[in-house]
Amino acid sequence: MAAEYAQTPFASGYEFSEGTGYRLPEYEFVEPPEIRSGETSHHPIVIVGAGLAGLTLACALARYGVRCVLLDEDNTVGAKGASSRGICYTQKSLEIFERLGVYDRIAAKGIQWSVGRTFAGKDEIYSFDLRQQSNYNLSSQPPFINIQQFYIEGFLVERIAELGHVDLRWKNRVTAFEQNHECATLTIATPAGEYRMRADHVIDATGARTPFRGWLGASVTARKGDDRWCIADVRFSKHPPVERHTWIEAPFNENRAVWQHLMADNVWRIDYQMEPNCDPEQVSKESVVRERLARQFGSDCELEVVWVGPYAYRSECVDRMRHGRVFFMGDAAKVVSPFGARGGNTGVSDADNLAWKLAAVMKGRADRALLDSYHQERHEAAQQNVQVTNRTSKFLRPQPGPEKLFRDAVISLARQHAFARPLVNTGRMAIANPYTRSSVCDATGGQPVQNVSFRWPDGSKGSVNDLLGWADGRLLLFVFGDLGGHAVQRLKAITETMPLRAVQVVGGDAPPAAIEHVLDTHGHLQGACHVFGHAWALVRPDSYVAATGESIDATLVHAVGRAMGIREAMERQAGEVHSPKLGAEPISSLDAPRAEAA
Amino acid sequence: MRSTFHFQDGDSFYEQLLEAHQGLTRDESDLLNARLIIVLANEIGDAKVLKECIEAARQLPAQGGL
Repeated sequence: MAAEYAQTPFASGYEFSEGTGYRLPEYEFVEPPEIRSGETSHHPIVIVGAGLAGLTLACALARYGVRCVLLDEDNTVGAKGASSRGICYTQKSLEIFERLGVYDRIAAKGIQWSVGRTFAGKDEIYSFDLRQQSNYNLSSQPPFINIQQFYIEGFLVERIAELGHVDLRWKNRVTAFEQNHECATLTIATPAGEYRMRADHVIDATGARTPFRGWLGASVTARKGDDRWCIADVRFSKHPPVERHTWIEAPFNENRAVWQHLMADNVWRIDYQMEPNCDPEQVSKESVVRERLARQFGSDCELEVVWVGPYAYRSECVDRMRHGRVFFMGDAAKVVSPFGARGGNTGVSDADNLAWKLAAVMKGRADRALLDSYHQERHEAAQQNVQVTNRTSKFLRPQPGPEKLFRDAVISLARQHAFARPLVNTGRMAIANPYTRSSVCDATGGQPVQNVSFRWPDGSKGSVNDLLGWADGRLLLFVFGDLGGHAVQRLKAITETMPLRAVQVVGGDAPPAAIEHVLDTHGHLQGACHVFGHAWALVRPDSYVAATGESIDATLVHAVGRAMGIREAMERQAGEVHSPKLGAEPISSLDAPRAEAA
Repeated sequence: MRSTFHFQDGDSFYEQLLEAHQGLTRDESDLLNARLIIVLANEIGDAKVLKECIEAARQLPAQGGL
């Protein structure tokens, strides 16, 4: 029975792009050992769904050296024979992919862009260049790269095979789920038969049609829309500029919206907005799409249609990202319209957020309470992304009446006055969402840290990601400016007993103390950490600031404990170290290193 | 949001507003109002004030209709 599944080894350099359509790699089904043994296996972490989010999570766990099982119902990346789904990857996602070791391949294959232009009729009414925005140009990664989603997924599959630690099982479909206080139990169907698996933690990364919401009775907040689109992935004899062009009212699409974006392999993604009551099959016929393309690019333009298909979107968000042992991730947690690239990129950050927390718990560095912060942080991000994309959806598909009236007002004003142009909303590009209500972030934290560069003591170039790699799943403490002898000793005591690595960041001539140090002559690293002057910044493995402070004292100890979800235990430890009965002075003027490890 | 009179010349503004709508169809009038709201909102800019202004406009007097 297994013979019908083509046996394809992991291979580098596969080409999806030969001829019309995409040829996707196929991966080998291996009979799970449980089927032969008849035993139910038990695993600490089981990820269901080897899409962008599931693969990112598995790869991140592998980098931390944490084992997991990854189940996928299919035997390929992408959707078989279908178009790429996601195409546009943010700086934050690219920084994460750099840490995972697949960024170079993405950069080599994908297309960088930073300029977006919006047109109404023939007039350009709004444009932006992300490279001119100071918040984008400090990272080692560009603002955006466009690439077909299945390339990234394919790179991750191969990277996972290199790293090990991941039991990746193709053609394994979860058909039933239950959980209790002891474990979760998954029933899994394969071409070789059915088996059961127990798990401590289950991650649902199965996408928008997840069965887990039903199994768990997870409530969902949803908003209905009637916007319809037709996607055309094409290759041209003409070469439009490498920019994101959007038309709100395109004369060549009966005054409806059009999107134009470049991907890898010289394939352009053209999205056409359709009438809400259109016949999806009719509007996405290749002959109909060719007529539309001819109206846009001229009848003399030779083109090859790689893929066409109708498209509609929903807006949904689960109310809780964690249900007992199950964590919702990516599209399983929330579905948004595609405007602003807030779908797949959010899934990548979901995965990066949960990966280090699971790893820290598995390695005994953090309390299980840390896992609750996944919901707090990523649900805030999901809600923000749902809100932002819903606003864009309303602008692009206004209902008759006031919604259409105010859009007409804005578009007409934008043609005449610069002030009105930023109101034209064809999508607000995804950002790394800040966390404002996380129990493990201090009020001074919750901000993302870009992958900025610095110099190692020998003058060679390094980046934040290098230091995160060195910290290897521990927290990373940056101390800016000079350090007194007492502070150095206190810092040593803290790093010896807590899951933390510390590095001093010096400007020009400041003398480095007796800990690891790097040079930040332009202050980029300090700026990326959102602090000024003499300060410390506690950075998490997902490159978010947990807390910032000024002096090396009990506030730092508290911050470390809080970031690891072990606030109470750490406060106890800090209290013992600095308690009056040990003769220490009040914390604020503490100048002695801790007398003994608690 | 201000609760006190702030116009330099309120009667003149009111007159100009009515004149701007003269001879317009209902649709043209609606568009003029919508454009004017966007222009004025940009002049105000302040998010809190704008929110209060929208809320104030939504609250009709409790009794006696208009």
